[in-house]
Amino acid sequence: MILAEKITKVAQTGTHRVDILKGIDLEILRGETCAIMGPSGSGKSTLLGLLAGLDSPTSGRITLDGTDITGLGEDALAAIRGRKIGFVFQSYQLIPTLTAEENVLLPWELTGGSGDGPARARRLLDEVGLADRRDHYPVQLSGGEQQRVALARAFMAQPPILMADEPTGNLDSANGQHVLELLLELNRREQTTLVLVTHDPALAARVNRRIQLMDGRIVNDERG
Amino acid sequence: MSAGKLTWRTALRIAWRDLRAARGKFLFIAFAIAVGVGSLAGVRGFGRAFRTMLLAEARTLMAADLMVRVFEIPTPAQQQLFDSLELRGARRTSITETVSMITAGDDDLPMFCGIKAVDPALYPFYGEVKLEPAARLRDVLTPDAIAISEDVFTRLPNLKVGSNVRFGEAGFRIAAILRSEPDRMTGSMNVGARVLMSRAGLDRTGLVKTGSRAAQRHLFQLPIASKLEIGPVRQEIQTAFPNALISDFRETHPLITANLERSEQFLSLISLIALIIGALGVAATMHAHLQQRLDTIAIMKCLGARSQHIVRIFLAQTLLVGLVGGLLGAAVGSLVQAAFPLLISRFFSVVPTFRFDFLAGAEAMTIGLLTAALFTWPALLGIERIRPLMILRRDVTPAAGGWLKPGLARLATIVLIGALAAWLAGTDRWRVGLYFAGGLVTSLLVLGGFAWLLLWLLKRVPRASFSTAWRHGLANLYRPGNQATAVLVSLGIGVMFTLTIYLIQHGMLDQIVANAPPNMPNVFLLNVTSREVVEVESLLKSYPGVEGKPEVVPSLAARLSMVNGESAESLSKDRAKRRFMQTRGVTIALNPRPGALITAGAWWTKDTTKPNQVCVLDSTAKALGLSPGMKLAWTVGAQALEATIVCAFKIEEVRMGGNMDFIFSPGTLDEMPLQYFASLRIKPGSVAGFQRESFKRMPSVTIINGADVVEIIQQVVDQIALVVRFISGFAILAGAIILASSVAATRFRRIKEVAILKTLGASRRTVAAIFSVEFLILGAVAGLLGSLLAIGFSNLLLVRLLQAKAHVDWLPSLVAIALSALIANVAGWLASVRTLEQKPLAALRDE
Repeated sequence: MILAEKITKVAQTGTHRVDILKGIDLEILRGETCAIMGPSGSGKSTLLGLLAGLDSPTSGRITLDGTDITGLGEDALAAIRGRKIGFVFQSYQLIPTLTAEENVLLPWELTGGSGDGPARARRLLDEVGLADRRDHYPVQLSGGEQQRVALARAFMAQPPILMADEPTGNLDSANGQHVLELLLELNRREQTTLVLVTHDPALAARVNRRIQLMDGRIVNDERG
Repeated sequence: MSAGKLTWRTALRIAWRDLRAARGKFLFIAFAIAVGVGSLAGVRGFGRAFRTMLLAEARTLMAADLMVRVFEIPTPAQQQLFDSLELRGARRTSITETVSMITAGDDDLPMFCGIKAVDPALYPFYGEVKLEPAARLRDVLTPDAIAISEDVFTRLPNLKVGSNVRFGEAGFRIAAILRSEPDRMTGSMNVGARVLMSRAGLDRTGLVKTGSRAAQRHLFQLPIASKLEIGPVRQEIQTAFPNALISDFRETHPLITANLERSEQFLSLISLIALIIGALGVAATMHAHLQQRLDTIAIMKCLGARSQHIVRIFLAQTLLVGLVGGLLGAAVGSLVQAAFPLLISRFFSVVPTFRFDFLAGAEAMTIGLLTAALFTWPALLGIERIRPLMILRRDVTPAAGGWLKPGLARLATIVLIGALAAWLAGTDRWRVGLYFAGGLVTSLLVLGGFAWLLLWLLKRVPRASFSTAWRHGLANLYRPGNQATAVLVSLGIGVMFTLTIYLIQHGMLDQIVANAPPNMPNVFLLNVTSREVVEVESLLKSYPGVEGKPEVVPSLAARLSMVNGESAESLSKDRAKRRFMQTRGVTIALNPRPGALITAGAWWTKDTTKPNQVCVLDSTAKALGLSPGMKLAWTVGAQALEATIVCAFKIEEVRMGGNMDFIFSPGTLDEMPLQYFASLRIKPGSVAGFQRESFKRMPSVTIINGADVVEIIQQVVDQIALVVRFISGFAILAGAIILASSVAATRFRRIKEVAILKTLGASRRTVAAIFSVEFLILGAVAGLLGSLLAIGFSNLLLVRLLQAKAHVDWLPSLVAIALSALIANVAGWLASVRTLEQKPLAALRDE
């Protein structure tokens, strides 16, 4: 489903050169749930961004669902993200000027989605337990509620891949647990491939593959 | 919808949602557009309504069915046509218009005054002459009684109805005050002091003789239900008077229409500037808005939106706001249209009744939308550079952008503005469009450059010793998202326009009177006959205070009729050459004027001179294709005059009254009814005495002093200045709205800032003081920039056009600076009062 070959990422800031990723080879299979772990600065978020087509590697090749995305332009990448990837971020990243329902509906609108978008948005909000808060703006929702809206949004366009960056990182344990259960449940039901970045060993324990990064390299890759 | 497509409908829906969340900010943008659209719609709507009114009231405005204006006494053939028309049932009356001096007694100075001589038994055929005390014209205008306009009473305060005055060789009793006459705007003298007298009265004055340049208007009334139809009659008159200005009730009067069109074009262009200032505000606010929406844009990109989709959403937002602004502007336009009659009521006895002009509103709205969209385009292009990765890493900077697309967008904006200006100009489109676009870009660059420099300097002011309010207020000007430069440019342009008009209108013209440039004549004598020329020369030689060598130039009103034996009419088909076919002044001279340059042939000398030779002004020779050796013929009334061209000459010096096109060799005009024109420089203190002495010795000679000239200019300038100020006020308003919208655009930043300041112990008063300092500096600096440019522009106009000395009057500039600081403060406070009232906890929680 996701294939990364000899990926490097170098950041050049003035006279300084920082090697963020130093040759990553990775294959994530369809339906796999996978956690990328590692200390701060190990390159987790950078790797997630590259796999999602949010940035381009310095060298190497990335294939998503059979499509080589390495040399694609911004618009082509946007089209792939819209069709193939759902996102959940640590700080929710809801659009503050839109209501919960409008936020969920947005991917469907932006990609010219087919079918009854508004009905699906309402159903997803119902599934994350926010049917009665759909007209609320992000600022009127708690952190846990905002992340549940973000979850509903991530599944709106029925993407085959879900990428999550520390999805419970900003939440207390009860809310974090609730969000995690929902995430895994939706992921199972929608049969998506899940790639998540986390510090949290408890979260990592709930997925079937754990990839450990250290200093820009994969130091451990375990399944089970 | 297929995947990857975002329809305009969806874009509008998303745009509307985003817009909903920042209503206040977008309302300001809508106002900025509304102001420009409103003034444009008002100007064009009024112009159209006025033209419709002119057509409906054409008979009243002309006081006749048909009018012929000429500068000569009719030839026998022309007189015959008049007689024949009268025999066929038409009624005719003639009006003579000239200028002369009015004097009330030995103590009062003679005053320059326009004379309109009518036949009170017939004039006017339509409309009514309003007199005070109310009376019929035929009862009032006896050969020794006149009606005078109110301006005369202001200048000669001892006068009242019943007083006696003198014109030329005759005395008159003032029988009434002239309030209005129907054909004032279609006459030759529509500004300044004027007198209405009977034709018999004019004969008594001895002012109009053969060769005088008095305008003659012949008014006709055609009998109802007769065979005399307006079309054929006009054709007959046109054939007999090929060079006369003829108009009839079926059309709007060409002179008024021409003036109306010029004013409308000028005001439309000022409105366009107000609209552009509004559009600059939209662009600045959209830029700030996009800066606040970086996260939203990155999220949308993460969710699969292409850059062009997001551009479409924000463009739709701009268009939505533009539409609201346009609709609001169309409503404002109606108010502007309704206000115009009040502004010009002094000059028109009839003004159009108000009706909403949909076409003008729609035109202005379209222009508003187009301008707003194009000005916002470069800011929207920045969307392409925002990376979706920003969501994961805050330190990601926007991608480097190419220069081509923004460059093309800016070029397209300039081209559109030029095209709009060309369209609004109506005539000479290309040049106006080019000048307007070029001028605007230059002004914006200069103002932008100045604004940047001033901000740069302010930034470097050591602030350690300043109070908290001043330190933070100054710093606020450079915070990210602050639109200081845009505010300075827009307010600055408004101040510049208004103040330039004011400076020319006031102080500057007075200054010309007080300090007329050295060597420039300050007194002119007109209508001097051959009989009086010796007397004039002797007065000029003997009167104390006359400086340098006064110039006495003979002049004759002649019309070019033949070129090399061919009728000059054939040349008159070309519009540019037509003016040379009208009756114009010609003169004689033995020597060329000092500084004249002979460009072809040779000027005659004392030995070679013989009658019937002529030298032609170089520009005229070029326009008509004349060269030495060609034979020309003129008509002077019923007489003919012939001469051979011997040279062409050029004069760089700009002269009062212009240069004459044709100068004849001595002896050529000996048998002609010459009039003389004298110009002299006299010590300012001696002008009054000279006027009195001249009037005593030669009552029919018209004396114009510099002050009279300036007063006439002043009246014309006053007439347009009021309207121009009214419209340029819209530019200032647009600037104030931009300031308000820029403050509204930074509201979120300000809320946070205020919350932190309050949390750290700042009182509301301290925060208010910080904001006031910021607005005060913006307003005052815009005022300063606008004033400096206004001083520059007004002096440029004075030095280049009026040959006056450069002069700086600081008081109006100081007032302008203070007023613009005040306007900026009011606008800034209107936009931020809510911010100040917000509880700090609420703002901090939002984070």
